Amino acid sequence: MAYLATFFWGWLLAALLIGLAMGWISVVQRGEGVSRKLARWLALLAVILIALALGHVVPGRFGYWLDLFLIMFALYLVGCLVGSWLRDWVVSRSQPAR
Amino acid sequence: MHELFKWSRKWWPGVIPLVICWGIAAWTSTATVEADLAERSNAALKDTILDKRRIVVAGRDVTFAAEAFSEEGRQSAVASVEAVPGVRLVNDETRLVPEAKPFVWSAERDVVRVTLAGSAPLPSSKGKLLEAARNALGGVEVADQMSLARGAPPRFDSAALLLLDQIGKLKEGKITLTDTKVNLSGMARELGGREAIAAALRNLPDGYSVAANDIKAPPYIFQAYKDPVAVTLTLTGNVPDNNAHAALVAAAGRKFFSEKVVDNLKASLGAPAGFANAVAPALGALSRLSTGTLVVSDREVKLSGDAFYDAAANQIRAGLGRDFPQGWQYKADISVKPAAAPVDATVCQQLFTELLSKARIRFESGKADISPDSMGLLDRLTETALRCPNATIEIAGHTDSDGDEGANQALSERRAEAVMDYLVKAGLPATRFQAVGYGAAQPLAGNDSEEGKAQNRRIDFVVK
Repeated sequence: MAYLATFFWGWLLAALLIGLAMGWISVVQRGEGVSRKLARWLALLAVILIALALGHVVPGRFGYWLDLFLIMFALYLVGCLVGSWLRDWVVSRSQPAR
Repeated sequence: MHELFKWSRKWWPGVIPLVICWGIAAWTSTATVEADLAERSNAALKDTILDKRRIVVAGRDVTFAAEAFSEEGRQSAVASVEAVPGVRLVNDETRLVPEAKPFVWSAERDVVRVTLAGSAPLPSSKGKLLEAARNALGGVEVADQMSLARGAPPRFDSAALLLLDQIGKLKEGKITLTDTKVNLSGMARELGGREAIAAALRNLPDGYSVAANDIKAPPYIFQAYKDPVAVTLTLTGNVPDNNAHAALVAAAGRKFFSEKVVDNLKASLGAPAGFANAVAPALGALSRLSTGTLVVSDREVKLSGDAFYDAAANQIRAGLGRDFPQGWQYKADISVKPAAAPVDATVCQQLFTELLSKARIRFESGKADISPDSMGLLDRLTETALRCPNATIEIAGHTDSDGDEGANQALSERRAEAVMDYLVKAGLPATRFQAVGYGAAQPLAGNDSEEGKAQNRRIDFVVK
């Protein structure tokens, strides 16, 4: 992991920034997100992919691409979380108590 | 928390640019990552001794194939690749170098190249052997067919290096080291090469031994040519050492009294045993020929040429006497020189005087035994006597004045008789000769100097 981080910090930063932007937008976005059921399936998929990566099950280049994807995705999620939280904080400050 | 869940349901659109980013990252980085990991894996193995090392990186997985020279070396090599940062998995395809039993190494020399084959224990010793071969052979092509194997005997390197040195002394041949046994075959480059190799093999490391040494040397040649026209004796070829050289040239000077000795001999090692004992009588036989060639090749003596008369030819064909060493072969191809034209008694006397002025018949000191060195002269005297069949000849023995007068008289008589015996055995009728002893009564020179005495000790031929 440390190796990938030092090697591809640019791409990882990009994932984080995409996450931040998405998180920033998502707070005020109208409309439905993914359904509760689909979210569960997606979470299951993520768990399976993480298990595959940790178990070193996928060989060669595919294994490397999986690792890379999971790290980028993790940073994306972190970005989303931070972005959403920041936007929520900004929004709640600019709207005096209702 | 509820809000977080609400937000997160709307995060999915960002996944689209994320996946694009990921695709580009994967597309551009894979080859770079693989090259970087391969480079650093190789660097991690820099100091590890391995054969047939192969590192293939797919993604972050390293397939590592190699042959190690010990189990510890193999495990530590795998561990060092595993320790390279960024490597996810190591597919371990390493194994141990096969063990050779028996451990055979060989160096073979033919006309154009030296081939090193068999097993070497380590890449470093293989490199050392190749470099040593190139240095020892200066310019000769060195072909490497060595493979690596475990199971070399201790001190293999020094033994093999010593054997490689010997390859330089061979014209062609093969040296094989089987465990600790050395086998050699082939032909030495130079005379003495066989001996030099045998001497060097005594320095083999402890535990090593020579199982078979079939190195042959080029024939040891000695030649002598008696040329009646140029009146020379030409000696060519080899002699064992400088002492033997001097002795041989001195003996040739005594035996060939009228010829000039042309000495082109060269001292070299590798003479067969008994060389001097074989060459001296062979030169004696050559001195009895009017023209002839003596070729000594290893232990074979070949003499060809023309004897002065039949009996001499038979004697020369019969052999070289008791002194000729065991194990030597003697081949004589002797013909008889055509008889010279008869001459009258006066000319005969002149010829005798001429011959005896060049050399004297020599005897063993104080005895009446004719020295073998004088056989050539006696044959010439015999030939001359044959040319005047009607002349009666007095064979006159003389001594110096040393010692008792009676003894001198007796010695001079016996010596004259010995010479007459020789002539009679050569086929001349005894009636033509009178053997007379004069003791010290007819000196040619003063008996007060060694030189004078030597002149006085003589046999004269007087035609009556």
